[in-house]
Parts: sequence; C-alpha cells; structure tokens
Amino acid sequence: MHREFKGTFKICHLYPDLLNLYGDQGNVAAITRRCQWRGIETELHFVNIGDMVDFSEMDFVFLGGGSDREQNLMAADLAEKKDSLWKAIEDNLPILAICGGYQLLGKYYQTIEGKIIPGLDLLDFHTIGGEKRLIGNIAVEIQLGGESHKITGFENHSGCTFLGDIEPLGIVLSGYGNNGKDQREGAQYKNVIASYLHGPLLPKNPLITDYLISRALERRGHPWNLKPLDDSLENAANEFMLGRMLG
Amino acid sequence: MKKIRLITALILGKLALLMIKLLGKGKGTSLPGRLALKISSEIIRLGALRVKKGIILVTGTNGKTTTNNMIASVLEESGYRVLINREGANLVYGIATVFVREMDIWGNRSFDYACLEIDEAAFPVVLSQVDAGCVVITNFFRDQLDRFGELDKTVGIVANALKNYKKTRLVLNGDDPLVAQLGRTTGQSSIYYGLEKYLDSHFVPSSVSEGKFCPLCGQKLDYSYYQYSQLGSYSCTGCGFSRLKPDIEGISPQFKSYSTSCLIEYSSSERIKLDVPIYGIYNLYNTLAAFATLNFLQINAQKIVDTLGKFKPATGRMEIFKYQDKSIFLHLVKNPTGFNQGLKAVLAMSENPLDLMIAINDNDADGRDISWLWDVDFEILEECQERFLSIVCSGIRAEEIALRLKYAGIRSSKLLIIKDYNCAVEMMFEGKGGGAYILATYTALWPVERIISQNAQRI
Ligand SMILES: [Zn+2]
Repeated sequence: MHREFKGTFKICHLYPDLLNLYGDQGNVAAITRRCQWRGIETELHFVNIGDMVDFSEMDFVFLGGGSDREQNLMAADLAEKKDSLWKAIEDNLPILAICGGYQLLGKYYQTIEGKIIPGLDLLDFHTIGGEKRLIGNIAVEIQLGGESHKITGFENHSGCTFLGDIEPLGIVLSGYGNNGKDQREGAQYKNVIASYLHGPLLPKNPLITDYLISRALERRGHPWNLKPLDDSLENAANEFMLGRMLG
Repeated sequence: MKKIRLITALILGKLALLMIKLLGKGKGTSLPGRLALKISSEIIRLGALRVKKGIILVTGTNGKTTTNNMIASVLEESGYRVLINREGANLVYGIATVFVREMDIWGNRSFDYACLEIDEAAFPVVLSQVDAGCVVITNFFRDQLDRFGELDKTVGIVANALKNYKKTRLVLNGDDPLVAQLGRTTGQSSIYYGLEKYLDSHFVPSSVSEGKFCPLCGQKLDYSYYQYSQLGSYSCTGCGFSRLKPDIEGISPQFKSYSTSCLIEYSSSERIKLDVPIYGIYNLYNTLAAFATLNFLQINAQKIVDTLGKFKPATGRMEIFKYQDKSIFLHLVKNPTGFNQGLKAVLAMSENPLDLMIAINDNDADGRDISWLWDVDFEILEECQERFLSIVCSGIRAEEIALRLKYAGIRSSKLLIIKDYNCAVEMMFEGKGGGAYILATYTALWPVERIISQNAQRI
C-alpha cells in the first residue's frame, strides 16, 4: 500500500555557488522531481560558505566536487560543520557525495608532491593524487537494498581512492572506478553513497534515487514502498550506455 | 633543404586534399595538414611569413568562428587578399591544412592578412610559430571539460602563452573579467570592447556562471549588473579590478528575432549605427570584437558597418533556411552558455507553435562527456512547453537529452526519440509548427545541415 508522506521533504544542496561542475546539480533535480511526481512536497535548501545548517533537519544532502580552489574553500567551511554532519550520518541521513565531495569525506588526500591534505575523516578511506586523469564512461554493478543492478556514468578524476574498512558502492564492469586497480567504485556507509560517477548519477539511475528517498522517509518514520514511476526513458538511456560499454 | 621539405609537404598535403575531395569522405580539414606537418614541421611558420600586412588570431570559448569570419569578410570587401580557416578547423592540423590549401606548391603565394581562429588548447603552439599583429579573445566559458579539466587551466594556457610572447596587440572583451584580466597579467597593450547595460539585463546568473571570484586576487567579485553568464559590470572587493569604460562600446542595443542593432562609440567620441542580420546579445559581442579589431587595422568605420550589415553566418551559427513557407533555424551548441543563448533565441521566435529538434552526439569533437547538458537551463522551457507540439530528440545520445528534458519538467508525451537524422529532420519539415528550430552538437550539425540544404533554401 502506498500511503502518502505528509511532511515536506527537505533537500540540502551544499555549496551550489562553488561546486557546480559536470552537471552534478542534476542529482538534486532527480531527487526533487521524483518526490514531486509522487506528490511529496519538497523544499530546497542552498547552503553556501558561512551559512548555518542543521543536518538533523534535512532529508537528503548533496555534496559535489569543484576545482582545487573551490574545493579548499568548501573543505574549510565543512570542517566547522563536521560534528553535526557526523551525528546526522550516524542517524541514517541519506547523503550523496560525488567526486571531490566523495574524497573530502575520507581521511586525507595526498598530492602528487606528497603533501597530505586532511579530509573530514568521517569515512574510512584515503585518496592519492595520480599523474594520469581517469576519464571516460563507466559501468558499475552495485548492490543496493539486497538487489544487484548495473549503473552508468562518466568519471573524470586524477585522485585514486583506496577503501579501508568500508563497503564499495559497486564493482567496476568497464572504466576505472576508485583507482583503476582494485575494480571497486565508490563507497557506502549507512545511508551515505559516495561515488566518482558524474553523468549525473541519479537521473540516469533512478534505482539509487528512489533508494535514497525511501531511506529518508524511513528515517522520518514512514517506511512505506514508494509508488512506482514510469522509468522507460531512464532505463533506455542507461541501457544504451551499458550496451555500448559491455556489448 | 627547408624549401624542398616545404614543397614536398605542400604537394603531399594537396594530394591528400584532392583524394579526400574525390572520395567525398569528410571535410578534409585535418588530415592534409597532419601529413604536411610530418614532412615539414615548419609549414605554419613558413606559411605565416607569406602574410604581408598582419596576422589576426581569434581565440576564446564561444564566437570564434563568427568573429573571425566577420573580420575576414570586411578585409576582403576592402580589397585585401585574406587567408582564413573557415568553419572551425581551429586545431594545429586544421591550421596547417589551411596553409596547404591556400598556398601554391612553391610556397610563394602571398596574402595581405591571415585571419585564424584558434582553439584555446592549440593557441600556444600557433602563437609560437606566427608573428601575430593582433590577438582577439572573445570570452571564457566552460567547454568540453573532459579535455581541459577545468576553466582556470584554459585561461592559464592562453595567459602564459601571451606572457612569454613578443609584443602584440590584444583585443579583449572588457565585460568578461576572465578575459579583461589578460590586459593586466600579460603585459601586452590592449584594446577593450564592451556593451552598455541593456534594458533587459535583469539576468541573474544561474549556477552555470564562472567569475564569482577575482581572477587577480581571488576575492569575491561584485556585479552592478549582468549581461549574460559572467559578462557584466564587475568590481573586485579586494584589489579594485573592475570593468572600465571600453575603447569600443556598443550603446542602446536592440534585439529583434532576425537582427540586432546598436550604436558603436569609438575613438573617444565618434558614433556610428550598426545593424547586423543575426540574432542575440552574444552575436553583438562578436560584432563589437570584429569592429574593434578592424578599427585597430584602420579600416574605415562606415566600411565596417556596411559590410557587417550584409554578414552571412557560418554553418550552424543561427543559420536560416526556407522550406516552403516555413523558416528552419539551425544552431550549433557546444557548451551551457551557448546552449542557453540558443534556447533564448528559440523562445524569442514569433512563430507559434514551434517544432524543436535537439541532436546530441558524444564523439571526440563534441566532447565525450555530455553531463554539461545538466548545466543548461532547460527549465526555462517548462512554463512554455505548450508552444511545442513535440520535441524531437536525435543524435547518438538522443535518450540522454530526452531524459534531461524530462527532468526539466517537459512531459514525456512530448518527447520523441528519433535517432535517424533523416527522419528527425523530416519531422521538422512536415511538423505543424510555423517555424522549426534545430540545435545540434558539432558532429551532428554537419549531417543535419546536409539534409536540410538538400531540401530547403538557404536564406
Ligand atoms: Zn581582485
């Protein structure tokens, strides 16, 4: 039974002024639209440098990546919000972190010159700067909510991420993934999904979008199945790229 | 020895051009130059020596082709012999091809001017081989990110090349802080062009915009108004870097759906009326860039505006065709800023309803990463989707553009995926709209253009 969620779904877009590379704002559009198409009212909160935010109030948080300068600015600001963010993560807040945002959640980033830039140290992984940029289309097989799915996107990063005691988002079928070596892509912890996939990730992979929305509703005490939507266009776009990469 | 190499290179290059023409394969803008460069690595340098009066290089993200073609058309109309790379063959091989095609096999034919549009990445190489009298820089926007990484790098590539170059004259867009800064950072003497605030500049940039921070000191930039994207009147809260009154300024601009006009103020106080048969504020900026360059080359101002008044855009730069009674517009899209302008042009059309087609490819020349489509402001179509009976999505990544439109709020029932160009263009010809608008990425543009021009009249 699809009982309706009566509250307002609060979407938090972190640093939209700084981090707007590679169409990643499409992830926010995907969450917003897929709530709206189900009659769930949404509220979009933009949080920029210096703004206050109470993560416990939010239902979904998006953190993207930017150029080096922008990345440094946001890292300093987010460091001040770290405790509140950590509490929310432990309290099962759904978060999507892409590329630079992904790297920032880890222990540190080591530059090519060997300099260590500390991360937020929220999740157990670290990133090492590489000479070569890992660029191209990517296909990944993921396990989400006990089901296996193939997702697609476009990656563009020089940092190579190595996971510690944390689950990957999935296994690389085509492309580089976290580091081009261990076949792993992204990371997941509780309701945090971190990934290198631009494209953007959520519109083309509605399974992940709906997973994040469901977890958010569950956290608010509404553990009901989401009303299914017509995803034929999403699936067609995804299948075309899967066909091209996997034959 | 050099001479023999050059002659061999020219002969081989010309043979390659001929073969490509005979086989009817491709446009032949790259391979002949590549072959010729293999034999004589100096072909661009030696070719450039045959240019007597001056070499003009045009670079920047958008508007290179239009600006370059405008400058060349006025110079030709003024009776000069001009060498030009038309149609955007703007990488090193493309430029070498132009020299192969235009020079005689002895490498002796000479020209008065060379007008070369250069891709930002190829700019340092070309600049190091030619004696550029003048370098025009139009704007810096995000473009094909998978090639450059990020915009700061692109700007840095151009800036560094100019810093280490002998003296030249820069013609700079004074309204774009990323371009205008080059006047300070490169040590080259500069002419600035710009456009007065126009009445409609209520534009507040969406997240596409660059230039939130001062390119000189990194502090926040304040704007008193925006024209489009990061173009506007800026001033730095840190170091005082700001928009100055430009040397060449467009005043009281007016935009109609098929033409654009303004007054141009130049040489301190002189004014002249300009009316160009192309649409849009960004084309007005291109026109001002051309005017500033030609004015620097001492071409008579009346001659400039008269010639530009008859200007015909290059393939896919807002080209207009007639099919029976219907106007068909064709426009190249390659980055968010240009795409947003294209969408505004569509909505500015008076015809109702409209047929719309968008063709997206992801070949190398288009940019393999098409996620920039999500930075395009398609949301402006949501409110007025009733103006379109359907939107035809075509090209290799047709599903992806359809998906983008769906998440912009366009109803799925309006979205048609027709990958085949012939069928898609046919829909535009036969559609019930009063006009049709086709937006296409680079490698989709050429096949689409061929189909249209076989069936419709170019205006
Ligand atoms: Zn400054």
